[in-house]
Amino acid sequence: MDGCRSGVPTYEGDLHVVAAAHHIVKALGATKNLSDDLRKILIDLDSHLSMITSNIDSKGGRGLVDVEERLDLAERKIMRWETDPMMIWDSGPKEASDYLEAVDETGKLVDGLRGLSVHENRKQKEILHRAMNIFQTAMSRLEEELIHILVRHGQQFEPKNMYSRSIRKDIVYDESFVSVEDEPTKETSSQNCSNDESGECIVDLVHADVIPDIKSIAKVMFTSNYGPEFCEAFISVQKEALEQYFSFLGTENLSIEDVLKMEWTCLSSKMNKWTWSMKIIVRVYLASEKQLCDQVLGGLGSVSSYCFLEISKATILCLLNFGEAVAMGPHRPEKLLRLLDMYETLADLLRDIDTLFSEEAGSFIQLQFHELLERLGESAIAAFKAFRVAISSNGSLYPFAGGGVHPLNKYVMNYIRMFPEYWNTLNLLLKNQHPGVADQVTKPDYGPDTSLLTSCPMAYHLRSITSCLESNLHKKSQLYKDEALQHIFLMNNIHYLVQKVKGSELRLFFGDEWIRKHNAMFQQHAMNYERATWSSVVSFLKDNNPGSSSMSKSTFKERCKGFSIAFEEVYKTQTSWSIPDPQLREDLRISTSLKVVLAYRTFLGRNLAYTDDKCVKHTVEHVENSLLDLFGGSSRSLRNSRRW
Amino acid sequence: MPATDYQASFLGRISIRRNQVIAMDGNHEQELQDLELFSKHVSERFAELLSSPDDIPCHALLSISWLRKLLDFFLCCEAEFKGVLMMGNDPSQISKPPLDRLIPEFLDRSVKALDVCNAVTNGLESVRHYQKLAEIVVSALEQKPIGDGQSRRAKKALTSLMSAMNVDDKECSAAKATERSWSFSRRGVSSKDRVPEHFRSVSNQVAKNWSAAKQIQAMTNNLVPPRGAEGSGLASPVYTMSVIMVFVMWALVAAIPCQERNGLSAIHFPAPKQLNWAQSIIGLHEKIGEEWKKKEKKGTAGLLDEMQKMEKLGNILMDFTDSFQFHGDITDQKAEEAAARSVELAETCRRMEEGLLPLQIQIREVFHRIVKTRTELLNALDQVGKSSPPLL
Repeated sequence: MDGCRSGVPTYEGDLHVVAAAHHIVKALGATKNLSDDLRKILIDLDSHLSMITSNIDSKGGRGLVDVEERLDLAERKIMRWETDPMMIWDSGPKEASDYLEAVDETGKLVDGLRGLSVHENRKQKEILHRAMNIFQTAMSRLEEELIHILVRHGQQFEPKNMYSRSIRKDIVYDESFVSVEDEPTKETSSQNCSNDESGECIVDLVHADVIPDIKSIAKVMFTSNYGPEFCEAFISVQKEALEQYFSFLGTENLSIEDVLKMEWTCLSSKMNKWTWSMKIIVRVYLASEKQLCDQVLGGLGSVSSYCFLEISKATILCLLNFGEAVAMGPHRPEKLLRLLDMYETLADLLRDIDTLFSEEAGSFIQLQFHELLERLGESAIAAFKAFRVAISSNGSLYPFAGGGVHPLNKYVMNYIRMFPEYWNTLNLLLKNQHPGVADQVTKPDYGPDTSLLTSCPMAYHLRSITSCLESNLHKKSQLYKDEALQHIFLMNNIHYLVQKVKGSELRLFFGDEWIRKHNAMFQQHAMNYERATWSSVVSFLKDNNPGSSSMSKSTFKERCKGFSIAFEEVYKTQTSWSIPDPQLREDLRISTSLKVVLAYRTFLGRNLAYTDDKCVKHTVEHVENSLLDLFGGSSRSLRNSRRW
Repeated sequence: MPATDYQASFLGRISIRRNQVIAMDGNHEQELQDLELFSKHVSERFAELLSSPDDIPCHALLSISWLRKLLDFFLCCEAEFKGVLMMGNDPSQISKPPLDRLIPEFLDRSVKALDVCNAVTNGLESVRHYQKLAEIVVSALEQKPIGDGQSRRAKKALTSLMSAMNVDDKECSAAKATERSWSFSRRGVSSKDRVPEHFRSVSNQVAKNWSAAKQIQAMTNNLVPPRGAEGSGLASPVYTMSVIMVFVMWALVAAIPCQERNGLSAIHFPAPKQLNWAQSIIGLHEKIGEEWKKKEKKGTAGLLDEMQKMEKLGNILMDFTDSFQFHGDITDQKAEEAAARSVELAETCRRMEEGLLPLQIQIREVFHRIVKTRTELLNALDQVGKSSPPLL
């Protein structure tokens, strides 16, 4: 240090040192793999050194003149565009690079002059102000060029076919993709959309060709301290583009109050739309936006993630708010599957969200996502509970006509048939939910070789639901005065239950044992029915004296009459009953036939002597045929229609 | 108990209550003590907010830190309210008159408050945008020596800032947002620094045709102080909490740019002065209401203290940049003045940088809390409904 101060520099010596330093700086600047910070320092140093050179020169009277000449040249290049109606980057790459060169030159002059301004040279100050003025004009222009490029080369992509497979096939998707496909197809980069199985898909939101242009503008604006202007312009254009895309998807902002008041069908379709938009916005749009930010602003520290956050925040919050509104709405049972769709979508996207908003500033968004997921889960559980409550509290005042399959049973079974599709999620959500003390019966006592599926939480809850359903059906069966009809009703309904379980993936969760048990149950009801209806009828045909060959004529007559009346009565009543399942109906007829027709034939056979008597009202064949009319669902009378 | 009994002193009220309590069981006495404590805390908290010194910028009325305090107090009151309402009490009370009517009304108000929270969150996005523009102004004026270039840079950012504040405040409707495009007509543009037209983004809307003022007006529906015997029961904390909620939402909307604020000053709080806890709230309402009326006359932006400062400084600096461009140069005195203002603006920006994000997070916390309480109240109502014999 001392050495430096002691030596009085000579004019020649100065020039040599400066020239040598300049040389080194230039050589260093040519090195690749420099960090941006270091590069900036070198550039600054470079301009500073060149200024010193000219300053030293100025002692000879030439320096400022040189600077002024350089500034004049740059000014001409910059100012000529101010009157030109064309945009620079539209005019060609040569124009653009010329312009950037002039801006760079002006910047260097400004930096150099500013480094010297301590000398309070009036002329120098004047040139500096002029240079800075030109520089501001250029920066302002670059901002405009940036906006123009972003808008002009911004691309929209078609969401069609994207994720359409993930919409479950058995759920009616009431908003078809037609509205989306009606939009005129632009020549977009959707062809470079690499849609693989997992649905990962990144598109170019801004045409790939102009990325280097945007980068070069970013570079010069950031090195000149105009970074904030760049960010503001970049954010506002991209934010608006995202909003446009958002409304292009058909998603609108709704207040929480509106969502809570919404009719179910409307809400259901909005929930579907949300699920769909959420996936596209996060996995495609935001992933692409993030890529764009990184491409343009990568290497500028946290700038890229700051811009990304500012661009996406409002739209994300908007989507989240709809989710919050749905989660806080009334927990109606029919909401369950839609809620599960939303829950699964969100759970599926969490990893993407955590990556997109990994920086600290984005942790707010991350947190909101996690909170919403929790809320949707709670809401789904509540809807699940509401479903159970709705099943047990479904009350009827009147018996269900005909004893067929009750609508509640149909609704519940068709609804839970879809549960296996959500079994992972349901298992997760229901893990800590006890089906309730009253449902101890649902615990499987299937022995050691219970499969994994029959003992998972969802299986417990499914069985708990059907057991709720069964007890409600039992309650409903009590409304019938006729014991036989009670059995027909239960037989029908339990048979339906078993059929639905057997015919779907539900069987894996209920297990063979459950199916066996319930098969036995409805068969028991069939037997009970036969006993309740036919025991008394057949009792007329019983031989009280098995030893003797025949009964007295008067007894026969009496028995015949009794049988006819009882049979006709049954016929009249039970033709109006219904067994919707043809196989079940057939089985019951056959077994009834076996019992009744056989007894009748035996009865008549034993008393052949009296069979020509008028007291035998029905032939065996007639009884057999009449039995076929039972359970048809419409009441008929044997006396009127089949008088013999 | 008639409402006028509240006029009595604190001790006096206790003795009145004690007399009533004699016939009641210990549970009830506890309940009354809780109620007493609740309204005492409410009154203390709002008195603190009212007495906040205006001259210390970071504590000024409607400054970011004041709003954060307000929200803190809201959360505290809310927690105590829930305690009073739901703990230790016979849960079936909430399904009996008058609560069977008051609770659903309260829940309805809560839902409206949620939408206000969202509107305010959106508004804070705009405020953050102002902050960024103001930071550009500061960074332009920071440079030495100040020249035409810097002055133009500052002016450009200032113009954006002022028009942004103006647009947000003029309750810009959706129509403008959809019409807007980024096209710049290059021909015939005289200014050297074109300012892109500011727009209000669609996502900054709660919903089409939604209005913050109307929403708050609707929150005051059916909001009447409990009368007669109701005044000593749980009806009174429900009323108190409702007033607090309406006031907090109203103050937020007054401070922060929000969708449709026309008619905000016309909103009347049905809080009778004789209620002890209500006095500070009424005081604050009057104070802020007056500010709002001034704003309506002067046409300034939102009442957020930092924004008002920003606007004031912005106007001064705008004059400075104008005179700079007009005269080409300025006196040292003017330059010093501008530098001082610019330092003030930088300080305001710093306060925003420190406070806006926490405020936004806090508003979200309020949002979640309101949702949570609503859910708990609904569940409680549900439980009570189940335990009572079903109507067949």
